[in-house]
This record gives sequence, C-alpha cells and structure tokens, in this order.
Amino acid sequence: MVEGDSDGVLVRRVLDGDTEAFGGLLARHRERGLRFATAMLGDAAEAEEAVQDAFVRAYRSLRTCRESERFGAWFLRILVNRCRTRGAMRRRSERVFVYDEAALERAAARPAGDPGWREEIDRALARLDALQREAFLLKHVEGLEYEEMARLTGARIPALKMRVKRACDHLRVLLREVDDARIR
Amino acid sequence: MHGSADDPLIARVAAELRRPVPLRPDFDARVMAAVHRAIPSLPVRAWTWLREPRVVAVSPIGVLAMAAGLAGILLVGAVSREPGAGSREPIAESREPMAAASVTFVLVAPQARSVALAGDFNDWDASRVLMRREASGLWTVDVPLTPGRYRYVFVVDGRRFVADPAAPRAVGDDFGTPTSVVTVGGGALRAAEGSL
Repeated sequence: MVEGDSDGVLVRRVLDGDTEAFGGLLARHRERGLRFATAMLGDAAEAEEAVQDAFVRAYRSLRTCRESERFGAWFLRILVNRCRTRGAMRRRSERVFVYDEAALERAAARPAGDPGWREEIDRALARLDALQREAFLLKHVEGLEYEEMARLTGARIPALKMRVKRACDHLRVLLREVDDARIR
Repeated sequence: MHGSADDPLIARVAAELRRPVPLRPDFDARVMAAVHRAIPSLPVRAWTWLREPRVVAVSPIGVLAMAAGLAGILLVGAVSREPGAGSREPIAESREPMAAASVTFVLVAPQARSVALAGDFNDWDASRVLMRREASGLWTVDVPLTPGRYRYVFVVDGRRFVADPAAPRAVGDDFGTPTSVVTVGGGALRAAEGSL
C-alpha cells in the first residue's frame, strides 16, 4: 500500500530496499514540483527535466533526509537548487549553443485556464530577477512562511521579504494594464 | 491562504500559477526509469567503491546533461575538462601503456534523427562512432579513451556540428566549427590498476 502511507513510511520503505515505494513519493510531490519549476523556468519541457533530475537526486540522497515526514519540503529545496542551476546554465548555453532547433520546437505546454493571461504572467515572471521570481513563487504560489523560505533558500528573512515585495511591485507594473483589460 | 489576498492582482496571478501543470502520460515511468538507472544497489555500489576507490566522476551525468538542457558529458575515470586544450597529447609520462577509461558522451537532442561523435580519437570520422538514442531524446555513446586531451564535436543528422555547451571550447580551433575538449587523466587509472 502506497497511497495511504505517510511520506515518512514511504521514505523508510525505499531505504529498506523497496524502490517502487519511491513512486508514491513521486506521485505525491510531482505536481507541486512541476508547478514551481514551470513557473520558475518558463518552459514545460525543461521543468519536467528539472523535476526528474530533482527526484533522482532525492532518491540518491534519501538517507540524508533527516525529517522523512517532511520529504516534500526537503524535495522542494532540491528542486529550487536544480532550477537555480538550470537557470544559470541556460543563460550560459543560450550564448553559445548552436543547436536550438529542438528547444524552439518543443513548445511549452500551457496549464489549463486562460491561456492569454497565463502567457502574460509567464512573460512578466521571465522579466523578474531570478531570486525575486523564486521568492514570489515560494511565498504567493506555494504558500510558504518566511521562516520555511529562509530554511529552504538559505537567505535571510528580511532579504526574502524585500525580494517578494520587489517581485510584486514589478508584477503590478507589468500586469496591471493587462489585468484591467481582462477583467473589464 | 497564501498571503496575497490583500492585493487582488497578485492574488489573481498566484491563482493562475497554482493551476495544475499538464503532465506527459509517461512522466512517472520516465522518472522511475531514471531512478532505477541512477544508482545500482547498495552492495554493488559498495563493491565498486571498494574495488575502485580512485575512480572519480568529475561531473555527474544528470547535472551536465539535464541541467544544460541540451548536452553534456559523463566523465568516468580520471576525466576532466580543461579549457584551452589543443589536440591530443599525453598528460603524464608512463613506463607502461595506459589503460583506457570509458567516457560516456551525452547529447540531449529530441528532434535529431541521428547523432554521431567525431573527434581526435576517431580521426574526426563521424561514421565510426554513432550515438544511441535513449528516453527523452538522450543520445549517448561510450568511448574508451586513453589518458590525453581530445577535441570533439557532435554531428547531428549528419550535417550539423554541435559543440558541447557543458564542456570548454577548444582554443585555436582548426575544424571550422566550435569544438569541445575533454581531458582523460592518467594518475587515477594507474592507481586503480595497481589495486587489482
């Protein structure tokens, strides 16, 4: 039984050699991971790769997950780091990589809802500083408290509050007009 | 409550971003396959470590290939990538022939129909080292390389030359297109041989 097991039980089962129990952790935490990575990276295919990468790393390092009942928070920390690395490497590779056809052809799948509104949001998010975007998503989309964000990112709470505030300020500037037109 | 209710615009943005992201049907299968591939069983790992304690993975495949989102290289054995390398040259003097290290080259190219590897190690003949396509458009090939520095390039669909963005570029390139450099070290291999 996997669905009813807590994260702690699943982690223990994996550590005891039941690799398939990791599928329970995957099923439970993939949606949040994909949601965060997609908004953070702005590309669904790359987000899937980041989430897969994070899960593999989580599996490899599972013995270091000290609070197994809080696997979700631990996994999110891994994913945040993977997204940071990918963002940095992407910025570097975009300058040098010549085979970008594949990336261009892999159009990002958009979540359901208002596609135009989502595109505007993605565009606005992409214009934010990466750390501001990360802080905004953790606070306003994932609903984390600042204390948890500080543990997760290693940043101090005042710095995180400033990042969130600046992200919100920028988003208001970037999206106010679109939002007004949309809800009229 | 997500703390954004005091600003309707931010609340609407957050609500949109909280929508579930469409997931490819094979996502779980791909992740679990990657998990199974990620590490052998603990006894195997322990045995490998005991037998080959000096084999160093300079950079894990996941970091280089996935994080680049585009391409990467798995370095097994005493392999490193150094900038500014030219053509192949011995790194260290040795009294006996050096053993070859298996180096796995990786390119993520989902749209490619074929990918080959050309470099100093095969006289730049792309027909001699064809890469295998794996899940998610990952192309890989294992190449035994003796210690030295090698320039290389991926050849996509037989016509497009692609440098590895995860590896340093060769300096003084004379291949007419950007090429990458991989360095295979010798010290660790000699030590590993000695332990057997």
